[in-house]
Amino acid sequence: MALDDPHPTSSDKPAGVHAAAAEASLHPDAELLAGAELLPCGRPLGHAWQQARSAAGAADPHSSRCPHCREAIEGLTALDRATRALRAEEQPDGHSLATRVINAVRSEVRLGTKLLLDDPDHDLRIAESAAAKVLRRAADTVPGIRAASCRVAAAKDDHAVHVVHVVVITVAATLDQPLRGRAEAVRQAVLHAAEHVLGLAVTTVDVEVNAVLGASRVHGDERHELSER
Amino acid sequence: MRNRTDPSPQPGADLRPAALPVGGVTTEQEAVGTLNDSVLAIRASEGDEDAFAVLVRRHSSRLLALAQHLLGNRADAEDAVQDAFISAWRRLPEFRHSASFSTWMYRIVTNRCLNTLRRRPHPLSLDTVPEPAAVDANSSPPKAAETDAAAAALTQALLALGPELRVCWVLRELHGLHYEEIAHVVGSSEQTVRGRLFRARRALMEAMRPWR
Repeated sequence: MALDDPHPTSSDKPAGVHAAAAEASLHPDAELLAGAELLPCGRPLGHAWQQARSAAGAADPHSSRCPHCREAIEGLTALDRATRALRAEEQPDGHSLATRVINAVRSEVRLGTKLLLDDPDHDLRIAESAAAKVLRRAADTVPGIRAASCRVAAAKDDHAVHVVHVVVITVAATLDQPLRGRAEAVRQAVLHAAEHVLGLAVTTVDVEVNAVLGASRVHGDERHELSER
Repeated sequence: MRNRTDPSPQPGADLRPAALPVGGVTTEQEAVGTLNDSVLAIRASEGDEDAFAVLVRRHSSRLLALAQHLLGNRADAEDAVQDAFISAWRRLPEFRHSASFSTWMYRIVTNRCLNTLRRRPHPLSLDTVPEPAAVDANSSPPKAAETDAAAAALTQALLALGPELRVCWVLRELHGLHYEEIAHVVGSSEQTVRGRLFRARRALMEAMRPWR
C-alpha cells in the first residue's frame, strides 16, 4: 500500500503549510509540502497515516488519545478497506477488445524490406519480417534459447554471382548449459531453416546472446528473469 | 557473447536440434505464448504480428481496467485502449526498451485517457457527487453489501478527483506501480507523484467518511 513509503512528514515544517493542498494547483512545488499538512494537534497528517499501518501506531499514547489523530487513522482505515474491495473486483474481460486490436493490426502488417530468394530464376521475394519469423522459430527450438531480434540483409559481396544474405540474431539464453555449443546450434538451426524452409541463400549468421533467461521459467515478468545486456 | 561464424559445416559436428522446423500452427502459438514481454516486444517491433497479438492478449484486461477507472465507462475505455494498442504497434520500431513494455503501455493508455478527459466539457467535482443511496448517516450499511457498496462509492469518488490525482492513485493503489514507474507514466518527478498521491488519498478519505 501507498503508506509504506516515506512521505514528507517531517515535523520541522512551518505551521503555515495547512493550506498547502489548496495552493498546490497554483504552485506545483507546493505539492512537496502536502504530506506535511498539520492536524489541529500539531502532528503532520502523513505521520498519523503512517501510524495507521504500523504496529508502533497502536502503542503511541498520543495517537490513541488524540481525536484528530484517531480520525485520521480511522479515515485511512476505511479508505484502505474500500480500496481492497475495489482491487479485488474482477478485471473486465478484454478478449473481444484484444481480437479487434489484433485484426486491425494484421490488416496493416509492416512488410518492410523484401529479400530475393535463391530460386532458379531469382525473381521470388519474401518480406524480411516473414523470413525473420521463420528463423526465430527455428532458433527457439534450441533448448534454453529464445530468439529476440532477427534481421536479415543482403550481403555486400561484389564477387557473389547471386544475392546472398547475412542474418543477425539476438537471443536470450538460460545459463544451465554452455553457451558456445548452443550458439552453434542456433546458427545451424537458422541456416537449416533459411535453406530448407525459406530457400534463402545465407552466408553468415551472427548469433548474439544478450540476455539471461531464468532456467525454470520462460515467461512472465521479464524484470525478474531477463537482465538486459 | 557474440559468435560470428561462417556457414561451412564442421565434419561430424551437426548440432542441429532434433526437431526442425517447429511443428504446426498450434504448437507455434503455444511457443510464442510462453515468451516474456521483452522478447515479444522486440519481435513485434520487427513486424512480428503474432508476437504483438500475445502482448495484446496478455495486457488488454489490465489496461481496460485502468482506462475504465480513469474514464468511468466501458465504451470510452475500450476506445482508449484500442487506440493505444494500435498506436503502440505503429510506434514499436521506435520503442527503445528503456522501460518495460507494460509501463510503456500504461503511459500510452494514460495519455489517451487524459486527452479524452480534457475534451469532456464539465468534469465532476466532489461537491456534485451524490452519496450512494444505501448510505444512512445513522447506521452502517448491511454487512453483506458493505464491501460492494464501499467499492462502488470509492469508484464514484475517484471520478470526482482531478484527472492527474486520479491517475496517480489508480496506478499506485489498484495497479501496484512503484513511484518511479508512475513518474515515468505521467511524465512527472517522483516528488510530484508523492504529492499527488497524498492529495488524492486525502480527498478520497473525505469522500469515504460515511463508511467509517
